[in-house]
Amino acid sequence: MKRKYIGSSIEKMLFRTFNTAIMIFLVIVTLYPFAHTIAISFNESLDTIRGGIYLWPRVFTLYNYKAVLSNITIYNAFFISLSRTVLATVFQVIITSMFAYALSRSNYIFRKPITIIVVLTMYFNAGLIPVYFLYKNLGLINNYLVYIAPAMFGGAFNFIVLRTYIRNIPESIIESAKMDGAGEFRIFFQIIFPVCKPVLATVALFVAVYAWNSWFDSFIFCSSKQYLSTLQYELMKLIAIANIAQSNSALLRDAMASGGEAAKSFASPIAIRAAVTIIASVPIIIVYPFLQRYFIHGLVVGSVKE
Amino acid sequence: MKTVRKKPGWQIIKNQKQLIFMSVPVCLYIILFSYIPLWGWSMAFQDYKPAKGFFEQTWVGFKHFIFLFSDSNFLNALRNTLAMSLINLVLGFVTAIAFALLLNEIRITSFKRVVQTISYLPHFLSWVIAAGIVQMALSIEGGIVNTILIKLGFIKNPVMWLSKPEYFWGIIGISFIWKELGWNTIIYLAAMSGIDPGLYESAEIDGANRYQKMWHITLPGIKATIVVLLILSIGRLMEAGFEMQYLLRNGLIMDWSDTIDIFVINFGIGQGNYSLATAAGIFKSVVNITLLFSANYFAKKIGEERIV
Amino acid sequence: MRKEVTIKWFLLILVFLLSADFCFPSDRSEGKQKLYKVSVFILTPSQQPTPDNRVFKRIKEEFGIVFDFDIIAGDANQKIGVMLASSDLPDIINAHQRFIDNEAFIPLEGLIEEHAPRIKKHLEQCWSLITHDDGHIYVMPNWGVYQGDYKSNESLGPAFWIQKAVLKEFGYPEVKTLDQYFDLLIKYRERYPTVDGQPTIGFEILCEGWRDFCLKNPPQHLIGFPNDGDVVVRDNKAEMYSDKDYAKRYYKKLNELNQMGLIDREAFVLSYDQYIAKISSGRVLGMFDQKWNFQRAEYSLKKQGKIWRTYAPCPVTYDESIKDYYMDRPVVNVDRGFGISVNCKDPERLIKLFDSLLDEEWQKFLQWGVEGEDYIVNDKGKFIRTQEMRDMQNDPAWKQSHTGLSFFDESTKLEGTFSDGNATSPGIQPEEYFESLKPEDKEFLAGYGYKTFSDFFSPPPPNPPHYPVWSLHIPEGTPGQTAFLKYDDISLKYLPRVILADPKNFENVWAQYMDELEKIDIPAYLDAVNEAIQVRIKKVVNN
Repeated sequence: MKRKYIGSSIEKMLFRTFNTAIMIFLVIVTLYPFAHTIAISFNESLDTIRGGIYLWPRVFTLYNYKAVLSNITIYNAFFISLSRTVLATVFQVIITSMFAYALSRSNYIFRKPITIIVVLTMYFNAGLIPVYFLYKNLGLINNYLVYIAPAMFGGAFNFIVLRTYIRNIPESIIESAKMDGAGEFRIFFQIIFPVCKPVLATVALFVAVYAWNSWFDSFIFCSSKQYLSTLQYELMKLIAIANIAQSNSALLRDAMASGGEAAKSFASPIAIRAAVTIIASVPIIIVYPFLQRYFIHGLVVGSVKE
Repeated sequence: MKTVRKKPGWQIIKNQKQLIFMSVPVCLYIILFSYIPLWGWSMAFQDYKPAKGFFEQTWVGFKHFIFLFSDSNFLNALRNTLAMSLINLVLGFVTAIAFALLLNEIRITSFKRVVQTISYLPHFLSWVIAAGIVQMALSIEGGIVNTILIKLGFIKNPVMWLSKPEYFWGIIGISFIWKELGWNTIIYLAAMSGIDPGLYESAEIDGANRYQKMWHITLPGIKATIVVLLILSIGRLMEAGFEMQYLLRNGLIMDWSDTIDIFVINFGIGQGNYSLATAAGIFKSVVNITLLFSANYFAKKIGEERIV
Repeated sequence: MRKEVTIKWFLLILVFLLSADFCFPSDRSEGKQKLYKVSVFILTPSQQPTPDNRVFKRIKEEFGIVFDFDIIAGDANQKIGVMLASSDLPDIINAHQRFIDNEAFIPLEGLIEEHAPRIKKHLEQCWSLITHDDGHIYVMPNWGVYQGDYKSNESLGPAFWIQKAVLKEFGYPEVKTLDQYFDLLIKYRERYPTVDGQPTIGFEILCEGWRDFCLKNPPQHLIGFPNDGDVVVRDNKAEMYSDKDYAKRYYKKLNELNQMGLIDREAFVLSYDQYIAKISSGRVLGMFDQKWNFQRAEYSLKKQGKIWRTYAPCPVTYDESIKDYYMDRPVVNVDRGFGISVNCKDPERLIKLFDSLLDEEWQKFLQWGVEGEDYIVNDKGKFIRTQEMRDMQNDPAWKQSHTGLSFFDESTKLEGTFSDGNATSPGIQPEEYFESLKPEDKEFLAGYGYKTFSDFFSPPPPNPPHYPVWSLHIPEGTPGQTAFLKYDDISLKYLPRVILADPKNFENVWAQYMDELEKIDIPAYLDAVNEAIQVRIKKVVNN
């Protein structure tokens, strides 16, 4: 009896040490790239291209951030990105989860055909040109709605994730609600929706990150209306500008005239990329800890029990 | 006879009208946005010129498919794509599930949260930055990988990892995990939080140890999620990504690094050859969908959760 | 009841959505009806001008024209595809071959003859060169049409580059041949195995992506030909040079040097950023490259005060009897610049605008700025900038509100010398150039008795009529072009192997490389090139 107790406590200690060691290792490897990017974003750009910057800037500067933030266009773009992210998340979470609920009902008559129709969309891509024609016919070109209208449904992947979760909810809860005469909409909004918080938080995160990071739709469908540009697209332009300044001989010639001295304020692509990455990702990264609480505790099942 | 048979159908539809209302409009929406543009697949059988209308295009039959399959580079790319996505799939699943299980064992909530938040940070870095870090780490001049391996005595001289074809798939696999591990884990954590804590309590009373609880409660609790995600991913074996491969490729390893997507960039889109790109896309879709249904069928056979 | 609640929900969202749309009205212009709003599509990434931008404000005031820019960043291939397919073409388009092939432009020659005397005069020298086979001009070239005397102070083009420190060490020797060049690198590296504590790298080769010209292009220059890309043109006939003995000779040399450890071990896996980092560290003695490609590393070296670690060009050849031909004369950037699209409502007004902008006063404003603000005139009547002005010009926010940005870059413009003797842009003004030279540079040039770095090269003869091959149009999707893409891949794959091979094995690997080249349809590529050469020669002779 006693021996077993000691054995298991040693085992416990070993496991904890082992687990903590792994976690610390993971923290180091995954924190490093971000910390590195931050260090570069604060380092003078001509110094950066020498290499050898790791976790701390060698020649501190705020210039890279100034170069990015002095573009007045990015402030409008920020609000476009923010609004589209919020709208897309709200729509997709509600519509997709409701849809997933309907298709999780095993007796639902159209369950199979609709499921196949939806799942297949994950595996083919019609190509850009026909999509452009479709959007043009729908009047979505150079229109803010191009960020919302095609993004009302969360896609096959999120649908499957939600459906799997809903299927795992004990059928008895739904049955008893039906006994009480509740309709499907009521069951969904009053029972399923609250119980699904962890998975809804997950899907919301996926959708929000995707919407926030999107730039291709800005580029293809809205590029001639700059006030519709998303933040990611405007920031991408800044990187492209820094890149072109490096490889376009005609542009370089002017910089050369004034010699290396004046060129010091030239932001190099590496530095701009770093500053842009931090500016673009911090707003969305902050979202995570807020959603995290929904799935780090198992608070849901408690409500099921009631 | 007819009316009798029809009646139950209508009856069901009437009974399920709320479910129909929840799903059919969405389905029509999906058909509009995802299926209607499929007419564009006709480009694969044309020498598509964007400035011409649909009826003015030259039809060329299977010319572009024949070009693809008679090109040894494409067949090479096909092999590389399948190999890399298979490696990524296996490594990705194993590590994400293992990481989720280990995270679940951490008692201190704040530590758990911090670890998890940090682990998902690399997801937000662009591939360009990620590739730059990988190149730096693998350099023979002070790269961290060589430095550590030499200190540990595994190798005597620094190895030029990116010049050796045999390491390339592994490098890609590890890079993917490093970048996406935290992100991939989120979904399993969400699934785990759906497990009834009562199960753990009663198992503890029964004297189950840590591993027994993992094996008999946690894993079965997230099994449905695992199987479903696995089926979905098997259906995406033709998608190995291209950014990382493109950024890390060089002349010495390009026979092992180029994926179908890179082939399409070089010979299709990059040359304004939208037809070739479409043909490659159709081929990928056909393979993907076949794999998906095979995996789904197999899951059905062994009685697991499945997609359809 | 419940349903009603749900419907309300949806209505609420719908209102939300619509109001979001109203926040961004699709048309912001108001007031003046006479303004002509012109949409412009630009492929060169640049910032949008600020609303009060000095240049565009003046254009608005003088010509009543405002621009709506679509300046893209991203994969132009995708964007151009949808633009052409949907015929959503803006009024002015930054030319790309695909727009020309798909007939997106209107012919300009008539408009120019009729309404644009300045453009006519400016383009006269290259009129038939930029005229297409169908007799039309579609694009006004953005760069390369010179007037007056053109003297370059420095070549941004290709050369074997060598650290100034190496030449100084050996008493400023003449470097004429490839062997002399490498001997200097070898000797210097023996003398100084480390630079600033890090191992010396004798010779660096960049072979990343499209920048692999550093690996592939040297043989043509070593036999005294100018930069024609992947072919050498003798008597107006193109030959592929990678399979020739004179190419083999170069790679054989590199193979030997690799055995001696002169070539960076990492060379063939380097990314561009890593390459620049190595050069910026000051320990790379030499490389073959085009100067614009490693310019940034030189800025960094200058910033670190390592002026002797910056580079001088060595236009070397196989032997002294071969005259070097690295530096060329400016070439007209055919089919690059602005064209007017078939959708444009008032092409006449636009061509008149471009004509007015070609006026010297406007050009001075566009290229130099405003006297007193952006430059001052010295007692000899020459334009110069103070250091403060130079710094100001490099501030991105300032550029955004004061310059023509990429609209100017892509417009047709005066290059060379103004009628008052000033250079058209600060970049080629000799006064500006000498001002920028460091004392070390002056000492170095004095060592050779040269005035500028261009003096290292033989003065370029007039460009051959076909020149350059890299600007010839090889139609997309043809066997010739596919063959070229494959050739590109095969070279990238085999040349590193050839250089890294055990010397005993060199012949073998080279033979494999040749076998692979045999398999592709190189004649199809050469036929396409030769056809294009003939067409161009006819045009140039007609001019």
